[in-house]
Amino acid sequence: MREYDVIVVGGGLAGLIAAAGAAGRNKKVLMLTKGAGTLAIGGGSVDLLGYVGEGRPLASPEQGLTELPDTHPYSKIGRAGIQAALDYFKTVCRQEGYEYIGSPEKNYWVPTAAGTLKPTCLIPKTMDTAPLKAAEKIFVAGFHRLKDYYPQIVVQGLAKIPVYAKKEFSVVWLDTGMHEGRDITALEVARWLDTEAGRRSCAEQLKKALPPGAVVIVPPVLGTKPSYAVAEELEKTGGYRLVESTGLPPAIIGLRLRNLWLNFAKKSGVTVVENAAVTGSVVENGRCIAIKTGNLDRERTYRAQSFVLTTGGFFGGGLGSQPGRATEAVFDLPVAAPANPEEWGAPQLFGTRQPFAQIGIVADGRMAPVDAAGQPILSNVFVAGRNLAGYDFSFEKSGNGVAIVTGYQASLSV
Amino acid sequence: MKKHQNLPDECTACTSCVVHCPVAAVTSKFRGPKLSGPALERYRLLLHDEDPSLEYCSNCKNCDITCPSGVSPSTMNMLARGEYYKKHPHRLRDWILAHAEKMGQMNSPMAAVANMGADNPLTRIALKKIGITTKRRLPKYASRTFVSQFRALKQQSYPDKIVFFPGCFINYNDPQVGMDFVAVMQANRYEVIVPDDTECCGSPMVAGGYLEEAAANAQKNIQALRRLTDKGYPVITCCTSCGLMLKREYQELFRIDGVETVAARLYDSTEFLLELYDQGRLNTGFIRQNGKYLYHAPCHLRAQGIGRPALELLRLLPDIEITDADAGCCGISGSYGFKDDKYDISMAIGEDLFRTIRESGADGVVSDCGTCRMQIAHGTGARTLHPMTLVANGYGKR
Repeated sequence: MREYDVIVVGGGLAGLIAAAGAAGRNKKVLMLTKGAGTLAIGGGSVDLLGYVGEGRPLASPEQGLTELPDTHPYSKIGRAGIQAALDYFKTVCRQEGYEYIGSPEKNYWVPTAAGTLKPTCLIPKTMDTAPLKAAEKIFVAGFHRLKDYYPQIVVQGLAKIPVYAKKEFSVVWLDTGMHEGRDITALEVARWLDTEAGRRSCAEQLKKALPPGAVVIVPPVLGTKPSYAVAEELEKTGGYRLVESTGLPPAIIGLRLRNLWLNFAKKSGVTVVENAAVTGSVVENGRCIAIKTGNLDRERTYRAQSFVLTTGGFFGGGLGSQPGRATEAVFDLPVAAPANPEEWGAPQLFGTRQPFAQIGIVADGRMAPVDAAGQPILSNVFVAGRNLAGYDFSFEKSGNGVAIVTGYQASLSV
Repeated sequence: MKKHQNLPDECTACTSCVVHCPVAAVTSKFRGPKLSGPALERYRLLLHDEDPSLEYCSNCKNCDITCPSGVSPSTMNMLARGEYYKKHPHRLRDWILAHAEKMGQMNSPMAAVANMGADNPLTRIALKKIGITTKRRLPKYASRTFVSQFRALKQQSYPDKIVFFPGCFINYNDPQVGMDFVAVMQANRYEVIVPDDTECCGSPMVAGGYLEEAAANAQKNIQALRRLTDKGYPVITCCTSCGLMLKREYQELFRIDGVETVAARLYDSTEFLLELYDQGRLNTGFIRQNGKYLYHAPCHLRAQGIGRPALELLRLLPDIEITDADAGCCGISGSYGFKDDKYDISMAIGEDLFRTIRESGADGVVSDCGTCRMQIAHGTGARTLHPMTLVANGYGKR
């Protein structure tokens, strides 16, 4: 009989960290996924905590952690647990050849495609803002036909921000040679730079347009692979510093991060079943014994000793809603939501916490889902990532941070 | 069980499918699954609309696999292609590539002549003229079909019986895989039934835009198989595209009575053997056979949502070292890579896999899909084999 130690349901960042973490502790792990997760949509920088209270920006996520309510997943795990999870994340990324920099002591304020700055905590080296701070003149590169990234908008936006107001900006246009066919996204440009011919062409164009040593903001296009090879090769041609901004979907840096962690999880022995529509679970005496999938053919059951739920929120499909009620389909766990559905949304769309964004499953410090009295509902089930209640990742900028910290905690609890 | 529904509004336009589409990765002529699938489907529901880039969709299913919202862009694409060909004439080459079974029926009786003919310069000129690539060999016909070899075989009778759906590739081109499968089932005390009233599963017809013909085949197959599943027999395929068609695509594309009853009894051969293992009744008396193999998971297996059972099964064989290539789509997508205007796309898609194979130093590449194996052999020169061949070897049956 095949039986696993751990089954992780969901393959986003929280699921990947939980699965890889458990496999690293010699557990036999199965990961059931439906869809490629939202990592390659949302982005690959790790936001830990950007804003607290009613939107006060944080120079240091660490300071903000102390101000969070007890119901926040970070508060339940604590400072030491958060540090251990981030250390694990950074160690694996470095081992796998795609180092992340940063620490909870400070936020980076990285430029976006909209010409704004966004706080984030752990970033790939190519997003480091230090070269931008040091430069008097900043070049902003755009690509002909690239949709959703206009260097003029980046310049217009940054020029209004005090730390950038005194700097000189200059727009540089690059050409991928893709003049026909469908619209170009950052993905097409990144794939072009994956090729030797693309890198050669890009390097020649940079040489013509830039003085040696130039600092250049580029869209997130420096290759699709979790590696710095593309950036290093292009920078070498003229001593440039290329700084990747954040962009719109498809999120190339998120794609790199997904590839890195999926490969690492598989290498660590995690078995992955794709396109598995998980429909429910088998529970006996307060303990889950198996997960059920129902594809179009028939139901299948997968047995394990413990389970991690990382199916995401409303957007990822992990939470559902019915009139007046939020639901979770796999374990039918209670989902904490305001009793009056009128209160699920705040009338002011932006600039405030949204109650619906904080709807989720309440868990304890081990990430075990708990009832109103704080008692675990199922003794061998743990929850991580956006399934959890008590944080608004969009408002406070904490999405990938909570995924990593709670996913890692779940890997220690199973 | 929830019926499949085509719901374009479930698409949130997140682009996950575009990121993972192997065709879009190598050509900008395809607008990608998001635009050709759910985005256009919203218009197609209202009015007749055509997208010339739709012909680039290879129906590999990676869009369905990676969609976080449960949308099947490939199904929308295949339905739209079927609609398109209701109003437009097909090319001769599309007919030839979509009718592997009819071609097999015509060519098998004189396989040697047909195979020689395929290499004949005049045939090559003719193929080129109608739009079939001459850069790769057409699949060779076997001198004896699987069905004729099977009918001549004297099986040991057992109370436990399974139904085998061989599919066109195994029947006409690679019958040894079917014979290996029968040997494996016999070694596990099962008697194999091969029905004589099933037809091509319809997969190449769907890809070629012959939707109505495919629906007719589906209807006949479900009728024939249901008679057997009603007796409690499981139905097993060794071809992952036949398997996907029978258990999943029939429900996505057509409305057929009894399709769910049959689907519930369908197994891939490797999945079935692993279930025997779980029940403690798999014959594990394997003899030792050395070898280092790479495994390539066909996209149409990955779409089934059952993982990679061949990998787990082959790891039960002593002294066999098997590694997952995990290098994406091979590019051939059944008939797609045989079209002269798609050949280069097909080979570009396979490049990651070819490189992985070349760098592996493996003795051979194992894959469940017949055309994947052809593509791998063509792209790398590697020796290829079906998982059942290694299992049959393990029982000393070859």
